[in-house]
Amino acid sequence: MDNDAFLPQIARIDAVRDETPDTKTFTLRFREPEDSKAFRFLPGQFVELPVFGYGEAPFCIASSPTRPDTFETTIRRTGSLTDALHVLGPGAEVGIRGPFGNGFDVEGARGKDLLFVAGGIGLPPLRSLIRNVLDERDGFRSVTILYGARTPVDLVYKDELKEWETASGVEFHVTVDNTLPGWTGNVGMVPILFTKTTLRPESTIAYVCGPPIMIKFVVQDLFMRGFREESVISTLERMMQCGIGKCNHCAIGHRYVCRDGPVFNFKQIRELIE
Amino acid sequence: MKMQPHVLTIRKRDATKWLAKLLESRDVIAPALGPCGEVLFSKVDSPEQVLWDFENPLPPPKQFVLPQTDPIVRIQQDNHRTEVAPIYDDRQRVLFNVRPCDARGIAFLTQMHEMEPADASYLRRAEKLTVISLACNTPCRLGFCVCSDSGPFLSAGHDIQLTDLGEKYLAEIGTAKGEGAVSDAAGLFDAATEDEVVRRKELEAEARGHFGEETCHFASAMRRVSTRRVADALWERMSDWCLECGACNFICPTCYCFSVKDRGCNGTWTRCRTWDSCQYAAFTLEASGHNPRAQPGERMRRRFFHKVSAQYYVRDGATGCVGCGRCIKVCLGTTDMPAVVAAIRKGAWHGQ
Amino acid sequence: MLSVPTTCPFCACGCGFFLLARDGDLVGVAPGESHPVSAGKMCARGWNAHEASLWGDRVLQPMVRRDGDLKAESWDLALDYVASRMRSLIAEGKRVGVLGSARATNEENYLAGRLARAGLQTNHVDFCHHSLCRPLMAGVEDVTGESAHAIRLTDIEASDTIVLAEGDLARTHPRAAASVLKALGRGARLIVIGYARTQMARLASCFVQTAPGSEGNAINGLLAAVLGTEEGYDSLRRELKAVSPSDEIRVAAGWIAAAERAVFLIGPSGGRADRLRSDAASLATLAASTGHLGRPGRGLLLLLGRSNVRGACDMGVAPDRLPGYQRIDDGEARQRMQQLWGTPVPPGQGLDAQRMLESVSGLIVVADDPAAVLPMGRRARAALKRMEFLVVLDAFVTPAVKAAHAALPIASLPETEGTFTNMEGRVQRVRAASAPPGEAMDGWKVLAELCARFGAGGGWSSATEVLGEIGEAAPRYSRMVPQVLDDGWGSSLLEEPEWASIALRTSPTEALTSPERPYVLARDGASDWGSDPLVSFSPTLNREYQSERKLFPNGLVEMSADDADALGVRQGWRVKVSSAHGGAVVPIRLRKDLQRGVLLAPYAFRDWFAEVLGEDGAAAVNVERA
Repeated sequence: MDNDAFLPQIARIDAVRDETPDTKTFTLRFREPEDSKAFRFLPGQFVELPVFGYGEAPFCIASSPTRPDTFETTIRRTGSLTDALHVLGPGAEVGIRGPFGNGFDVEGARGKDLLFVAGGIGLPPLRSLIRNVLDERDGFRSVTILYGARTPVDLVYKDELKEWETASGVEFHVTVDNTLPGWTGNVGMVPILFTKTTLRPESTIAYVCGPPIMIKFVVQDLFMRGFREESVISTLERMMQCGIGKCNHCAIGHRYVCRDGPVFNFKQIRELIE
Repeated sequence: MKMQPHVLTIRKRDATKWLAKLLESRDVIAPALGPCGEVLFSKVDSPEQVLWDFENPLPPPKQFVLPQTDPIVRIQQDNHRTEVAPIYDDRQRVLFNVRPCDARGIAFLTQMHEMEPADASYLRRAEKLTVISLACNTPCRLGFCVCSDSGPFLSAGHDIQLTDLGEKYLAEIGTAKGEGAVSDAAGLFDAATEDEVVRRKELEAEARGHFGEETCHFASAMRRVSTRRVADALWERMSDWCLECGACNFICPTCYCFSVKDRGCNGTWTRCRTWDSCQYAAFTLEASGHNPRAQPGERMRRRFFHKVSAQYYVRDGATGCVGCGRCIKVCLGTTDMPAVVAAIRKGAWHGQ
Repeated sequence: MLSVPTTCPFCACGCGFFLLARDGDLVGVAPGESHPVSAGKMCARGWNAHEASLWGDRVLQPMVRRDGDLKAESWDLALDYVASRMRSLIAEGKRVGVLGSARATNEENYLAGRLARAGLQTNHVDFCHHSLCRPLMAGVEDVTGESAHAIRLTDIEASDTIVLAEGDLARTHPRAAASVLKALGRGARLIVIGYARTQMARLASCFVQTAPGSEGNAINGLLAAVLGTEEGYDSLRRELKAVSPSDEIRVAAGWIAAAERAVFLIGPSGGRADRLRSDAASLATLAASTGHLGRPGRGLLLLLGRSNVRGACDMGVAPDRLPGYQRIDDGEARQRMQQLWGTPVPPGQGLDAQRMLESVSGLIVVADDPAAVLPMGRRARAALKRMEFLVVLDAFVTPAVKAAHAALPIASLPETEGTFTNMEGRVQRVRAASAPPGEAMDGWKVLAELCARFGAGGGWSSATEVLGEIGEAAPRYSRMVPQVLDDGWGSSLLEEPEWASIALRTSPTEALTSPERPYVLARDGASDWGSDPLVSFSPTLNREYQSERKLFPNGLVEMSADDADALGVRQGWRVKVSSAHGGAVVPIRLRKDLQRGVLLAPYAFRDWFAEVLGEDGAAAVNVERA
């Protein structure tokens, strides 16, 4: 009972990296060493991040628990809180509450083929699992990453994408909806990338994250190709506040996105009662 | 820890002495005469202020375990360095002469906040709270506590349940906390006789008899709500009779939806938990502007799913309603619990 | 936990509840079952009435602008500064004025009026909400010579026929809508006249959907149908000769004519002030000609917008009215005030709020933000910036405070003592449950200090004393003072005014539209809760307003899906809206409850249509895809 869920820990911004004109990745390190030691998270979990004076918002952890001293979160500017966050630099202090949520079932993915399909700002939540998998590469079978964004400028983790392109043990394809001068890669929506790879529905777990409309088309495609509902995983978004399944903002039926999610498979999603 | 309940009695005239003893070491909150001649749960200064014969106050004692504005963390930022500290409410409190419905309500709230991950700030307050309830020999006019096993007498879960036997009060001690509330004044209490225990059972039977032949409707409503057999069109029609004031949530002894907001400026903030209502449009409004429950009918459906569904009943071991009848009084519209439950059962609202 | 009975500070229904405070801090509210209006019920705003005081950006100290910035000052120096600057302006022959407020207490408003007339010797006195409600009051006055007719909310519950000319009652006056629901539950008939299929419209027994500005057609129709078989009323019949009521209006008229207890409710919906006035007049005529005006439990209710519109009027915070809402040209009334105040009271009508902003050099504003309330919107903001000397008294840092040359902190409503008068004409107590922060003082005290510095009286030692004087100044208030001062809710109904003659009125029937401009664009509603500090500073209440402003940074116009299809536009696409005055290009938002030919500019977005609408609330426009 000493874990007071509403009491934030203090973290310092270690580094800030621009991903796109409106998105940055913040590397955070807890100020107190005991907070750092105690912070154990699973890929797919999120934190509530207060920017004091501006409020608090949930952000998924975009780095892997295999690299524990710091963690990363990739945040797009959408309102006053993220505006305030975006002007902060290394050394600035923010709060962290969490980690919250169920996270991805990493153990359940061992020995399987893994397919990651992401659109735009949907890549950060998957990245925590991707990095975890790549850090323990031997535990998993094939790893295929399909990623798309509106334009080349909107791709996040641009340097990392290059790594994935050339890494052995990873099959990576990227596309943009609208091209720009200098882009020599695929042009088209994410589902076109299915033609670039061989999918094995019986042995693959698919992780899909991105704008709702993208998820809808991708998942339809996957089901048509024979993927089972339980093998297609996504993260749900809702207004969340407490993070501990109490305030009821994120309740869908009797499930709480902050506690029973945000990671759900599509069978669970179908069974959710609004 | 389940205790063997043991049963005592205290003479009515000694009850004030017992209260005086309690007042020595704790805050005592009891129904008392407040402004405008209304009976309100208030912190009393003397035993004489405690009422024994009263209509249940309209505001429940919820504000004493879950204040509408509840400061929980202090935040101080100087020169780019931030310090945070929890705010704990460590006062010893006794809720005295609450009715069984309200005692059940508090127990329900405590159970919700104990659920993993637990809420330390609520539980610290609840730990220091003893609830002494007064059973209802004469049930109130609007109540339907029998429908959710929340009255007119409780069978379990009470710290102390008092029953008015006429010359004496019977005191059923249910927990160690209850034990702690009588131990300082042990000399004022006697062991209850068998006759007295029998009398208490008779009084309960009489009280239950007041509810008449009405069978309880939660069960059939629960079936329909849980299997989505309530038409969207019905929720839409009913929501036209709701004015989205949130009163049902705020007044309900078992509702606890809240928001977390930081209050303050210039480096000093207090993080507060504040009551919120699932009936408010903005309750599920996301930063993007998307609202998964944009229609009032959807919000009403959500409320009654939480209160009446089997899914929640299984999770919580209880319905989210103690039958106190307060929502009937405070509803600005006409969509209180009994009215909506009836509509769910019949599949019709105002005959349609 | 301290429980303090008080009156709700939001709309004019005048609900009451207990403010809760612990260790001097506001904690929340609790329902008061014995309250004569609310009986334990409140709307979402009432349930969160404590939040603004806690979360709001508060004015903590008197501030005076030096070298461009507002700087803290002591009370004495700040008050002396205000007095000396205002005196200089007056000595230079420049105009000065005072704005009271519909969210200020009667005591604050009364002293504001006294400061203006007795102290500053000016009749430039008004309050911003006045322009929105005044047409209604004037319309009723046109018919009976009196504007203060009001039934009680319980009369609505007991009625068998309700005529409602509304904007959106469930949103503007939830407690009144609750009364309508109760009546409906008992079998009453509801006739709704309005431009949107609102919650009340959906429940109506008869819904007459009109274009904004054309509500009068429906009222005329009811009148014509009702008068069909009545004896007398020849002149009215002549005026209504061209009116041909539809079948459903005839049925509704039959209900009204046969009603035992009928009530007539009208609020300041979007539309033009002149039309609103004539609609109120013709509705009053309908009530009178069916025998429902002037009998207990029946008659008219003006749905005033804000908690103390009625009180501000009764306190004489109007350019042509004295306390008691008596006319400034009523020699006897002026004489009485001069005697009471011991100073001359200037003759002649003063400037109203909008004209004041445009032409005074010095202005004292009590608890209001003119740009948030007045239809002129951002033009008010520009006018305040141009002002030579602006003084604002408020609890909250509003844009008006930020523009002020002197800002004086006053207590917010949960922190002060005073009274409000609701739309029923019920005078009720406002009580303090906690102390104001910083150096903020009761508003009436600050105004008393200013009065003293202008030789306009002084020495009141409590709000109760001010109320006592109000009783002397406004005759109808004298009888209720003792009841208001009792320990309970302190609630007392003003008497219905006496009236002798009736001048019956109909509404004009000319259509606004033309072949070149076949659409009507109207300001929707008469208020923007989102910019009222009691809402904007409440974290629970402000969410949807903040979201809307964020999502529509380039303005917004609302239209029906059918119109959008015909224009070839979809949700979020831009249209060009042009009237005889000017044009605007904004994105659209679809609404399911509008009919073809009607476009709405939500009150919060009215600035985008300043050129299109001009002074009017509604205008004929042409619309095309941008």
